[in-house]
Parts: sequence; structure tokens; C-alpha cells
Amino acid sequence: MVKSQMPDKAKILASFSLRQILPPEAAGWKTGREDQLFTRDDVFDYIDGGGEIYLAYDFRFVFVREYVRDGAPSIVVEIYQMSSSEDAYGVFTHDSDGDAVDLGQGAIYGAGLLRFWKDKIFVRIMADQETPEAKAVVMGLGTKIAGAIPGDGEEPGLINFLPEEGLKPKSLRYFHTLISLNAHYYLANVNILNLSPETQVAMARYEREGSQLRVLVVEYPTVERAVDAEGRFAEMFLLERFDAGRKVPPKKLEDGKFAGVARRGRYLIIVTEAGKKSDLEWITEIISYNLEGSKP
Amino acid sequence: MKKRKPVGTVTRRDFIKGAAMGTLGMALYGKGGTALAGAKEGVVPFAAENPQSIVVLIRNEKAIGAGDKVDAAVVQEMIDAALKQFSGEADAAKAWAKYVRAEDTVGVKFTRCDWMRVHTDQAVIDAVVKRVGEAGVSQDRIHAQDGGLPIAKCTALINVPAVKVHTLTGIAVAMKNYINFSPAPSKYHAPATSLGEVFLLPDVKGKTRLVVVDFLRPYFGPGPQINPLHRWNYHGIMVSNDPVAVDSLCLNICQVKRNLFKGEPWPITPPPDFIAAAEKTYKLGTSDPAKIKLIRLGWEKDILI
Repeated sequence: MVKSQMPDKAKILASFSLRQILPPEAAGWKTGREDQLFTRDDVFDYIDGGGEIYLAYDFRFVFVREYVRDGAPSIVVEIYQMSSSEDAYGVFTHDSDGDAVDLGQGAIYGAGLLRFWKDKIFVRIMADQETPEAKAVVMGLGTKIAGAIPGDGEEPGLINFLPEEGLKPKSLRYFHTLISLNAHYYLANVNILNLSPETQVAMARYEREGSQLRVLVVEYPTVERAVDAEGRFAEMFLLERFDAGRKVPPKKLEDGKFAGVARRGRYLIIVTEAGKKSDLEWITEIISYNLEGSKP
Repeated sequence: MKKRKPVGTVTRRDFIKGAAMGTLGMALYGKGGTALAGAKEGVVPFAAENPQSIVVLIRNEKAIGAGDKVDAAVVQEMIDAALKQFSGEADAAKAWAKYVRAEDTVGVKFTRCDWMRVHTDQAVIDAVVKRVGEAGVSQDRIHAQDGGLPIAKCTALINVPAVKVHTLTGIAVAMKNYINFSPAPSKYHAPATSLGEVFLLPDVKGKTRLVVVDFLRPYFGPGPQINPLHRWNYHGIMVSNDPVAVDSLCLNICQVKRNLFKGEPWPITPPPDFIAAAEKTYKLGTSDPAKIKLIRLGWEKDILI
């Protein structure tokens, strides 16, 4: 994730093609407050106390339009421009509650909120309250926006190393930094995995024969940083002495669950909350095999 | 039966926290003391003076009607009833007079996120402002605001937060509602546990007379940007003078709701360790639910506590 330079806000607003395709009126809803645009510098003016979630990805700006109609819930369209399709996908995975709908490259709808991603764009369209009419407008606007995004983008390659067997699909997350990890899963109040904007993390939960586990696959920019993080996890989380080059054995923790770490080149495979040691070994082996095949 | 963590056991997560703070003993058994430089010696915040923290939770099925519309009259009744119970007075005016004097300048600190959706309902703000006015405080000395509240001018504060689980602090209720009294609010995001020091800032310390929590339509998902599936109508108002006890109980209720929603444990993360620290380090109130006296009034269905 390399942060990019931002051009002038007014110029973006004037030239943003997805703004041009939005209708001034939809089923009686008309544009409310003036269109807004927030960049990395002022995203907190829009998401006070929560902008960090977007800044943790290579977010460039968000365009916001409000639709209002007397006696009806207001509808807010948010179009997030990311610098990569991988990060558009990542932001999309931040919250997976809702029902899958066929839109863009992945979409979820629930209780008036539509979320989808396509190429480098992530979109949220929310009605203050769900009514049949409001839902129709939300879906209509979403379809229009998705149709105006010309191409598809790549999903993060990292998620392909995760096996499909046993995967709880709604648990899959893709991110870079500690703030995102903490938002989903709390390992510690220090950055023991050395996460940074340069790291990539795919995290998911699995269930096999009633037994569960959580796995994180972390890609580091260099082998040295992966080794360092492996040592920190071994010593600070597993409380095991670490010798670089020697395998760290899985460990049964105080809660009766197993945890472990394995390194394959620039990648770490971290398993926690495993009900069975054999499940931990199973998923570590599969991901290792997948990583070997990738020849990073 | 679930295994409980034995008292005094040091887990690896505790160890990591302790290591990060530089002293494990402080993290687990901190004896407190005023941690904020500049706080006057011998002065303790109000809640520490209470022999027991008391929280009144009142719920009314009629507080929210069709289309999630809040009934302002019902909300006023709920707040009055809760305050009468909390103060031990039979009359609402006498109850309010215990906490607000005519000569006070009162800050009614609510939560308002312009584009976001989980903020203190206007009916709750109006009900509090109305009673403060009736207690004899002139309108020009009632400052009902979120950002920009003239805290230095205020002699009394009424903390009127909404309830939301929060991606950066774990939960946002009474403690986090004061975060913007600090010039550097983001420094209190997790893993920091020092949010309590905001209550000891010179302009804030000792001024909070009441906490009136809008628990009508709380948010249990990762806020502040909402997914409507994570919002529920709880129909509640909570009254106390202990922000720590309030946060602790709200945390418990939201955690139960999250687990019910997912059908399995869905831990609130990051863990809001600032609540325990607010008691242990800053002496602001009581964080252990077992030591809080909760008085429940009204509607009991799905109370979750």
C-alpha cells in the first residue's frame, strides 16, 4: 500500500465521473445537502471518530450525496475511491453482516444498507429506515453506479492461499495494519505482528466437525521482517523461546485452545483458537502447500 | 460449565499488556492515586465519594413507536422517574434541585455525529434542558452542545451520551462522551487506557453532577459508521452519577446483544480497558458490575442484564 498524492478537492468533485451519472431525482427523492467530498486530510469531518478505518487502507477520497423526500427516510450515497482494487475489497470485508446480492464484484444488503465493491471503488448506500420504496431506490442507485464502473479489479492474491474447506465465508477479512486487526480480533495491546501499511493480512475462521479455529496469513515485504514478527509472536504470545530457523511448536493455552505460528519465506501462518491440535496442523499444512506453489 | 479465570491468574494477554505498560503489577493490581499531573492533592472526583455506585435503568415499551419514532413525552416521564428513584425524592423538581442549582452554569454534553446516525436523541436532550431550566438556571447559562461546549464557563455538567460499540475504543458511552474536552482526542483510542484522565482535566474535574444515558436505540456493531442490522430498540434510559458504572453496565448489555445476534460469542474489540483503568487509576467510579447497585424500573422484556 503506497500512499498517493491528492489533487484539489474541487477538481475531483467536478470531474468525478460517478457523480455525473447519479440522477438528481429518484422516485421522488431529490438531492438534499450539497454534494460533499472528503479526502484523507478531512475524512474525520465526515466519520468523526472512525475515519481511521479507511485511512488504514489506501483510501483516496469519499464522495457523499444525500437524497431526501418529505415523509420518507433520507438516503445517503457514499462512493469511496481507493488506490487499488485489493483495498476496495479489504474495506468491503470490514463488515460482512447482511445478505449477499448480485452487484459489482461482491455486495451485501440488509435493513436499508447496500454495500458493494467493484474495481477500485467501494460503495455504501443507506436509507435512514428501510421501506420498500427506499430499498428500491437504494438498489437502483447501486445498480446504476456499478454499471458505470467500467472494469473489474483483482481480489488480493493473499486470500487465495486460504483453503475453502471449512471456511466461514463471512469471517474473511483483508487488511494491512494493527488498527484493522484490533477492530476484528484482539491479540494484544502492542503490535506483536509488526503490522504496517506494507503488510497484507488475510484472516478467517474455520469450522471442521464442530471444532473451530482462526487463521491469519501475513505477507511481509521482506523475509527479515517476517522472521522478526515470528519471533515476537513466539515469545510474546506463545511465551516460547525463539531461535530463528527452528520450528516453533504449537502450544495449548490457558483456555484449552491451541495456537501456533509457522513461517514460509515472507509469509507467516498464525493459528489461534483451535479446538484441536490436529486442526491447527491441518490448516498450517494446507496453507504452506499453497504458499509453496506460489513461489513468492 | 465454563471454566473461569482464577482470580490473580496472569494470562499471556495480561502479560503482554503489562509488558507494554512497563509494569505488570500496575496493570493487574494498580492502586490508583491521581495519575494526572496538576491534579490537586487530596481532591477526589465525585464518584469515589459514593459508598456504592448506583445506576437506575428504566425502560418503557412506548418510548419508541412506529418508524422508530421516539415519543418525547414518554422519554420525559422516564427521565423524571429514573431521577426520582436515583435521588430518593418523590417529586421531579426536588430531584433535579439536588443536582442543579439556579446559580449554576450548566453544560449538557450530548453526542452528535453530523453524518453518522447514533447520537443522543433530541427528545433526551430537550427533556434534560427543560428540567435544568425549571431548576432555575436561565437559558443563557444552559449550554447544550457536543463540540464547542464552553467547558471553562460551566460550573456543572450533565453527561448525556448515546450508546454505541466503537471500532477504536471498544465502547462509547459516558466516558468517551467527554473525549472532545481533550485537545488530542485520538490519543485515547485503544490500546490507550487513559481516557479517564479527561475527567480530571482542570476544566472538567468534579463538575459532572449526573449521567443521563440515551439507551433508546443503541448500536452494538463496530461504529461509528453504522450497519442498521446492528442497531436495536432497547427503549431505555440510564441515570447515575458514576460514568464508570454506566459504561460497565452498557458494555455488558451490548456484549450480550452481540452474542445473541451472532449466535456465538462476538467479543467487543478492542477491549475497552479504559473502564477498569478509570476506576483503578483515576478513581472515577466503579467498574465491577458485581459492586454496582442496579435498580431496574419498567419494562423487563429482553432487558439483557
